[in-house]
Amino acid sequence: MSSNKYWKGVEELDQTQEFVSSNANEFSEGLPLEQVFSNDDSTRANRRDFLKYFGFGLGAVTLAACNKAPIKKAIPYVEKPDNVTPGVPLYYASSSVSNTEGFPVLVKVREGRPIKFEPNKEATYFGGGLDGLGHSALLSLYDTNRLKGAMVAGKRKPIAWKDFDKEIVTALNKVKAAGKSIAIVTDGSTSLLSQQAIADFSATYNNTDVVSYEPISYSGITRANNASFGKAIIPAYNFQNADVIVSFGADFLGTWISPIKFHSDYSKNRVPKNGKMSKHYQFESIMSLTGSNADVRVPMKMSNVGQHLVALYRELGGATPHKGMEVAGNNIKNAAEELRAAGNKGLVVCGSNNEADQLLVNAINMMLGGYGTTIDTTNYYMGQNADEAAFTSFLSKAKSGAYGAVITLGSNPVYSYSGAEDILAKIPLRISTSITMDETSSNATHVATDLHPLESWDIKQPYKGRFILAQPTISPVFEGRQASSSLAAWAGADVSEKNELSHAYKYAKKVFSSAVGGDFNKALELGVVENTSSPSVPSFNITGGEAADALATKKGSATELVLYQKVGVRDGAYGNTPWAHEMPDPVSKVTWDNYLTMSMPDAKANDISTGDVVKVTVPTGSIQIPVLIQPGQTKSTYGIALGYGRVLPDDVKNDLKDLGQNAYPLVDMKGGFADYTIGDVKIERVTGASTYEFGITQTHYSIEGRDIIREATLDEYNIDPLAGSHVHKPKMISLWDDYDYSKGHHWAMAIDLNSCTGCSACIVSCSIENNVPIVGRDEVRRRREMHWLRIDRYYSFEAPTKKDLELSIVHGGDQTVEAGEQMTKEKVMEAYSEASEDKSTAYNYYENVKVAHQPMMCQHCDNAPCETVCPVLATTHSSEGLNQMTYNRCIGTKYCGNNCPYKVRRFNWFRYNENEKFDYHFSNDLGKMVINPDVTVRSRGVMEKCSFCVQRIQSTKLTAKRENRKMNTDEFTTACAQTCPSNAIVFGDLNDKSSEIAQLYANDRSYHVLEELGVKPSVQYMTKIRNTKATSTKKAH
Amino acid sequence: MYSADIRQPLVTGGKTYSDVTADICRPIENKPTNSWWLGFSIGVVLLLVLAGTLAWTVWEGIGTWNTNKSVMWGWDITNFVFWVGIGHAGTLISAVLLLFRQKWRMSINRSAEAMTIFAVFCAAIFPLFHMGRVWLGFWPLPLPNAFGSLWVNFNSPLLWDVFAISTYLSVSLVFWYLGLIPDIATVRDRATSKARKYWYGFFAMGWNGSAKSWGRYEVVALILAGISTPLVLSVHTIVSMDFATSVIPGWHTTIFPPYFVAGAIFSGFGMVLTLLLIARHVMNYQDYITKEHLEAMTKVILLTGSVVGLAYITEFVIAAYSGYEYEQYAFANRMFGPYAWAYWTMMFCNLMAPQVFWSKWARTTPWFIFVISIVVNIGMWFERFVIIVTSLHRDFLPSSWVMYHATWVEVGIFLGTFGLFFTCFFLFAKFLPVINMAEIKTIIKDKE
Repeated sequence: MSSNKYWKGVEELDQTQEFVSSNANEFSEGLPLEQVFSNDDSTRANRRDFLKYFGFGLGAVTLAACNKAPIKKAIPYVEKPDNVTPGVPLYYASSSVSNTEGFPVLVKVREGRPIKFEPNKEATYFGGGLDGLGHSALLSLYDTNRLKGAMVAGKRKPIAWKDFDKEIVTALNKVKAAGKSIAIVTDGSTSLLSQQAIADFSATYNNTDVVSYEPISYSGITRANNASFGKAIIPAYNFQNADVIVSFGADFLGTWISPIKFHSDYSKNRVPKNGKMSKHYQFESIMSLTGSNADVRVPMKMSNVGQHLVALYRELGGATPHKGMEVAGNNIKNAAEELRAAGNKGLVVCGSNNEADQLLVNAINMMLGGYGTTIDTTNYYMGQNADEAAFTSFLSKAKSGAYGAVITLGSNPVYSYSGAEDILAKIPLRISTSITMDETSSNATHVATDLHPLESWDIKQPYKGRFILAQPTISPVFEGRQASSSLAAWAGADVSEKNELSHAYKYAKKVFSSAVGGDFNKALELGVVENTSSPSVPSFNITGGEAADALATKKGSATELVLYQKVGVRDGAYGNTPWAHEMPDPVSKVTWDNYLTMSMPDAKANDISTGDVVKVTVPTGSIQIPVLIQPGQTKSTYGIALGYGRVLPDDVKNDLKDLGQNAYPLVDMKGGFADYTIGDVKIERVTGASTYEFGITQTHYSIEGRDIIREATLDEYNIDPLAGSHVHKPKMISLWDDYDYSKGHHWAMAIDLNSCTGCSACIVSCSIENNVPIVGRDEVRRRREMHWLRIDRYYSFEAPTKKDLELSIVHGGDQTVEAGEQMTKEKVMEAYSEASEDKSTAYNYYENVKVAHQPMMCQHCDNAPCETVCPVLATTHSSEGLNQMTYNRCIGTKYCGNNCPYKVRRFNWFRYNENEKFDYHFSNDLGKMVINPDVTVRSRGVMEKCSFCVQRIQSTKLTAKRENRKMNTDEFTTACAQTCPSNAIVFGDLNDKSSEIAQLYANDRSYHVLEELGVKPSVQYMTKIRNTKATSTKKAH
Repeated sequence: MYSADIRQPLVTGGKTYSDVTADICRPIENKPTNSWWLGFSIGVVLLLVLAGTLAWTVWEGIGTWNTNKSVMWGWDITNFVFWVGIGHAGTLISAVLLLFRQKWRMSINRSAEAMTIFAVFCAAIFPLFHMGRVWLGFWPLPLPNAFGSLWVNFNSPLLWDVFAISTYLSVSLVFWYLGLIPDIATVRDRATSKARKYWYGFFAMGWNGSAKSWGRYEVVALILAGISTPLVLSVHTIVSMDFATSVIPGWHTTIFPPYFVAGAIFSGFGMVLTLLLIARHVMNYQDYITKEHLEAMTKVILLTGSVVGLAYITEFVIAAYSGYEYEQYAFANRMFGPYAWAYWTMMFCNLMAPQVFWSKWARTTPWFIFVISIVVNIGMWFERFVIIVTSLHRDFLPSSWVMYHATWVEVGIFLGTFGLFFTCFFLFAKFLPVINMAEIKTIIKDKE
């Protein structure tokens, strides 16, 4: 160590007193604190600084207080997938989600998100339309309640598939070792993948029983067909070949078997051509959508359908006419005459699930010779063929403890089969494959969460020889696994993804080549493959006489309850799709609820009015439900819709928590089959229950004799094509020049009231295309549904007598009616009936109503009353005839809505997006994926309305422009026209003289609603022609 | 001086000039009475109701009201037309009667004008807050803007309303203030406290009572009266065009402009009577607001009530005669439909009730006049309700027929506007002379 000493200065060396004391301080020189803290000039000079700091502080606070700029995340593709261009939709052929048997659709995909179903126009056999539920079911893909992966009871979080499979395989092997059986309960799907997977599974576990379960049974038809010609099938019905259709309680346009296809077939003959159109008789107890379209609708008791069939059978000459068979006035006789004349172009269908009824229907159709033309048993229908007898015997076997495991493959018997829950609970291993915690899954021990159909591969066969290919249109949103792969995995196969190819894909390819054959990729592109054979006529083993005699003695019951399906939610499988609930029922216009339909005479006799809550007791059980008085309902019959009362997962929101009453427990299984007509009904009002208010979109049902829907009979139309349109109106002279549309396009729409059945598919299609908010039951009650397109439904009463009219004050009659009550025709009828002396027939008017449906949307008037009154020019006229809405400019005075004669404008009363109260899908990140990016989501306080799908017009125009060609009007159409299964809506360019719209505009049947107002609408309606006897044979002048 | 006893004196009680000043300045210079406090408190409470309900409306959306897909205007525009109508009497009294040299107007014109202004404030709330996006309420003004080629729609009657009402409000305000200047100067001159002297001095704008000042005052008053007179006709004519230019049956009626103007004067006088009868009683102004005044006003009510009644009947006859089913239905539905009670309330209040004024007793009995004035106010509210709601609830297509009933929010806003109105009125009565002292002094010795 050096002893050298270094010093900084002589002071240190000397260690002077001064140095020692200052060295003890950290800083050798003192800090200028006095200067800083003293009050002298130096601090006063800081005034400027103060102002600076103050200014800065104020500025900073102001900036900090400003709203944060919204953070918008736009994440670009790191690697752009092939064919995906942001902003350009892709279309994939696939199968509809809501139809278990399969229905061809195109899925519109934007940036990897399926946002809409569109009909697959290539699949001509199926008619190129879609229904409301089919559209609505899209939301099940973006359901926040979807399970996130494989679930085990008692655990909240999904577990790894590997562990899950291990657990299941161990358990299944234990079942096998114990000598017990495994049951697979399918949903009656026609999926070839499932069938193959089940076969593979059964090969490994040879103790497997397969039973098919569907909530709605058509086994009456299959059993009758088995008895008649040895094939337990539902045939394919060809309504397009039928000139005379007689339906006994079959709602074939609404809910029976395959209504979308029936719609398009049926409508082909409903527009008069060469003086002819088909004739449709409907005998039914509830007012169904089909009945509302019939030319002749006859109220009938469903429990009495056998008698009617026997009468028809005997009338047709099947046996010596029986005196006791006089039912339904002359209607059976007339129907028989027309059927006989039509021969093999006559078709009789029946909605009964009773084998005996269906046997007689078969006998009648055989007698007419319809097999081979109107009924095809060769390329028969494959869906919905579950037999409840098989399920019942499965349950009794399960009760005895024969099963060690049950796999419910997509089916949900706990919801729709009363008592299934307790019996299934006896099986120790219960595996469900549903995608949400439905009633069956919540009672399962394991949930092998399936993929959503839009994430899956599948091949379906709805009709023998007609295949539909389904392909994934989005990568799996959650960690589900396709059910067929799950079964394969438990059977020992390796189902992991290899080379980015999923097991299901390889499986589908394999199944395709073995069961279908041909070019897989081509088939995927088209979505459908047809390998049909020409129809043959089956040989009958049974004579109709026996069937008739068996039925002739069976009397209907005095009162009956008919369990039916509503067009909106059908069997209830897609209960968690708010669009379907918000879609008004085509007949009752009620949203979100089911109810007891009741006839007016019964309601009056029991002093019950709409909204009263009653207790309905039938031998199978009882239910408390509000009443809806339904015109057209047969006296002493009642109806309740199935498909309601779902118990959805706890975290569903708003109105989805309360979805009416479950009527499945009332289904009568006593006869060994599901009977949806139950006799011996007792109705008692629930004391103390307050009146229930329905969310109903149209509360007034009479057209008040106004010239809004024009109609004529076929005879009148044949004499004079202008029949029904001879309304004498003054010639309209305008003070102003009309718009000049001679250049460019002139958009217009034509709606044929003859083809339109009121099915309401267009309403849902429009809502999805245009991001129309769902507002819920309570807002509908407040008359604020947002639908841009509605279907007005009017009832008209059978020939009102002069006396009825005299009661109306408007027409200057007597004053027996209370003031305030008689201002509407419906009140006049009610008052008249009340005043009537014969109480037994007083309300018969309500049974015999005629129905007309009229789609109503913005009429895009040339002289639009809404346009002139907007103070800020938020709604204006385009050079192509569109009435445009500029949301950004709208300040919400609502003057336009008031001044609209058609009342089609809709106001955003609340903020419907990002609002807990209206959280149906607009407020959560998953649900928002379904929003159409081409259409603005409207803010609170602005007006909105039908835009004629202007986004489609624009994108088609732009495509044409980019390709440097003229746009064709048939390149696109509006969402409503596109989805219409009966092609009632036609949209196009009037300037294109060859277009369908231009020809329809020249049609004699065309008219404008409220044309006398001079607003010059761009929507034309076409007179409804009913195929009934003429009321006048004179040619109008 | 000789005077013929053809007319009763306009001011009774043998008032001297100093009596007038003392009487009219008394409420301003003394502590408020208990009845003032009571009235003012009720007004403020209702004003808070207004603030609360409006805040709720803006926070949640107009969905908190019960207007719906067919009846998009309900209580909101009913109240708007009601308040604008009430505002009519002020201008009529101050301008038209000034031009016609009706000197009896002098003791009532001040309060009538104040009422006009407050009523227009109340009215303005409704077109503003019935907008879905009230924060963009300035868009109907033709302001140059940076949004591009955006401009207002001069075809829209709502835009005409914007101009008509803002013109009316500004002219009425100027006219009222002008008339106040000499009286404010009087209060200033009598003021004892510094603050009063300063503020009244400020608002008196240096009024010195010189002959020159008076001369100019008279001329400006006449000019403003000339400007205001057409406004009496124009404002409600334009308000009526909101309805008359539409296509809705029951709205689309050419009779509306004169009918609305008559209705507005009718309702305005109804409200003036209500207020004056209260003020007269509470402030002991029986000598200034004499039975003569009441009688004159009841005559106006009788006349305009009959005009309105005639319009109701004419409307109905024309509808029946038109042969147009929608029009016929709209009017029949008013009388016999579900809102018939509103129609018959209107008919009773507006057509039947005022007919009692054929009787001299009815015209000169204050409590009875007060009852009838309330009846008239109710009737005129129902007139607007009937026109707006019954026309909309059942128009062309029966599928869209609906019923409409107000929610508590709508009722609250309506009650709240009374709060605003009375709060303003009580403040006015406390701080400003409710009778024009300067003018009344010209007629105290006058029997004309």
